[in-house]
Amino acid sequence: MSVLTKSKSTVSANLDWDVLWERYGIATVLLISWALAYLFVPKFSNPDNMLNVIRQSAFVGCAAVGMTMAIISGTFDLSIGSTLAFSAYLGLLVVRQTESVPLGLLTTLAAGMAVGTVNGFLVTRVKIPAFIATLGMLFIVRGLTFIISQGGEPVRFNGKAFTWWGNGSLFGIPTPFLVFILCALVGSFVLSRTAFGRYIFSIGTNPNAAVVAGVPVTNTTTWIFIVVGLFTGISAFLIGSRLYSAGPGLEPGFELNVISAVVLGGTRLAGGRGSMIGTVAACLLYATMGNVLNLLHADAFAQRVAVGLVLLLALSIEGIRQRLFERSSRRISTVKTM
Amino acid sequence: MKNTLSKIWKSYNIAVIVFIVAIVLGILSPRFLSLDNLLNVMTNASLVAIVGLGMTLAIASGNFDLSVGATAAFAGCISFSLVPTIGVPASMVAGLAAGAVIGFVNGLIITELRVPAFIATLAMLTIVRGLTLIYTDGKDLYLFGQTNYKVLSGEYLLGIPTPIWLAVGICLLLSFVIGQTRFGRHTLALGSNLPAAKRSGIPTSRVLWIIFSIVGATAALSGMIISSQVLTANGRLATGLELSAIAVVVLGGTPLSGGQASMLGTLLGALLISMINNGLNLLNVPIFYQELTVGVLMLVALAVNINKGFDVRSLIRRHA
Repeated sequence: MSVLTKSKSTVSANLDWDVLWERYGIATVLLISWALAYLFVPKFSNPDNMLNVIRQSAFVGCAAVGMTMAIISGTFDLSIGSTLAFSAYLGLLVVRQTESVPLGLLTTLAAGMAVGTVNGFLVTRVKIPAFIATLGMLFIVRGLTFIISQGGEPVRFNGKAFTWWGNGSLFGIPTPFLVFILCALVGSFVLSRTAFGRYIFSIGTNPNAAVVAGVPVTNTTTWIFIVVGLFTGISAFLIGSRLYSAGPGLEPGFELNVISAVVLGGTRLAGGRGSMIGTVAACLLYATMGNVLNLLHADAFAQRVAVGLVLLLALSIEGIRQRLFERSSRRISTVKTM
Repeated sequence: MKNTLSKIWKSYNIAVIVFIVAIVLGILSPRFLSLDNLLNVMTNASLVAIVGLGMTLAIASGNFDLSVGATAAFAGCISFSLVPTIGVPASMVAGLAAGAVIGFVNGLIITELRVPAFIATLAMLTIVRGLTLIYTDGKDLYLFGQTNYKVLSGEYLLGIPTPIWLAVGICLLLSFVIGQTRFGRHTLALGSNLPAAKRSGIPTSRVLWIIFSIVGATAALSGMIISSQVLTANGRLATGLELSAIAVVVLGGTPLSGGQASMLGTLLGALLISMINNGLNLLNVPIFYQELTVGVLMLVALAVNINKGFDVRSLIRRHA
């Protein structure tokens, strides 16, 4: 980040706004929309409803924490929808057989990390571009889950200790949300305070420079995919618990929801820039939007349109600012060599 | 000699693979090579191939279009709903136009709002899908008695079903466009180096709008063919078509990095996937193995084909 700021020091006044918008833009939008919803949408202010909103944000949120790291490092993972179904299915299978929640949790996380390891191997060792490697894995893992389930019957289990994770509360706060915040804090700590986090930023900013500077690019990239798998596993566990069940057809299109939440949160697809707080705010914003539209009796179809429009709007603000900035800088220095 | 051989392998490896797979499947299941079954395979291939050909253009220009599945559904529904008022031919034109308009909007969002193509078309996927569901109220649209809409899927010309003619025709047309026209050169220039293309005076925005309009139109055609097969259209049509289309393009050897296009490769890629799915059906393999196969195929093709660090000839070369 600091490297970027320095290289554009001539336009520091502009860039400060950029950084502010990138870090806190969506959080501000979230607070404003909460205020508006609180004032104008009947029943939104009902505590039960607000708890429901934050509960809802967690299911996409945990996976989005991992995806944020991947996107900052300049890569991404399209296979997580399939990974979600795969690990939730295996986890529920184990929980149902053994009635042991920790064992189920371990299975779910291990399954997610296993898929992540394969992704990492394909990208770093076989050197297939991440887009294609994880797209291929999307098909493979989904197919595998259907094969394991022998035709697609979901596994069901409704033991109290298990369903608490998705449906229960701790100190009045929904459990999934607590898990989500914990994930985000860990993710944020890793990104800002550890060598691994610095490697992620440097690979995303300039992979060639990272190699030259001695960053272990191959290992870091492999681990990024494993971490994405881990956080997807956490989402899988929460969703399985929330639904009391998991089938191989669980959540198709999950990967695109997660990516759009991360990007809405200000993380650049080009890599090198992004923040955990933006991702958290974006997940909450999506959950709030869904809730408000429900309360206003908008149909489910209109909700999809709204979600897409918000994403477009948020992303075009950056593009429009860029254009305005270019126009003004052209006025300042007409002879600018690029 | 060795050079020409490797060159031939490089440009036609997908054709060789298609040929080998056809022979293997023919041996395993004699019914595979019957004329009816082969036509069936090719018809199924055409559905993905048509949108894949448009996608090849987008990928050659260094972009993606994730909204094609939604566009296909949108165009199918628009076209079906207009049949009672304006008749079959005009409604097909309307469907194509609807697809092209969606594509054009994609292009505008990318060039004017500067949203990366991946995100722009991802957002449009949700928006267009939502609009289609609102438009149809989530219900199915049927065409009772309008069997002349079936011309898109059920008719035969010289013994060959229309979708195959359409796919081959579009393949030839787009190959010509990419190889022989100024627009084609501009498209490839965009894909290989966008800033350079801009600086050399190519109207990059306009080229991009045309590219995405074509992608939208091909998606619309696919959508209309799919809906005409059962004379039913709805908002959930062609879910996931975008990723299948990209898979087909990649299998065909068009690199994701842009600047190159192989229309024939895309056609053969679609044929390969369709053949394998059909073969697995004939061999009574459960349907969910098909997804697995598509994924494995893609990865193997990529590992062998596109990856610069890995040379397939190293497998057959003698160590001196």
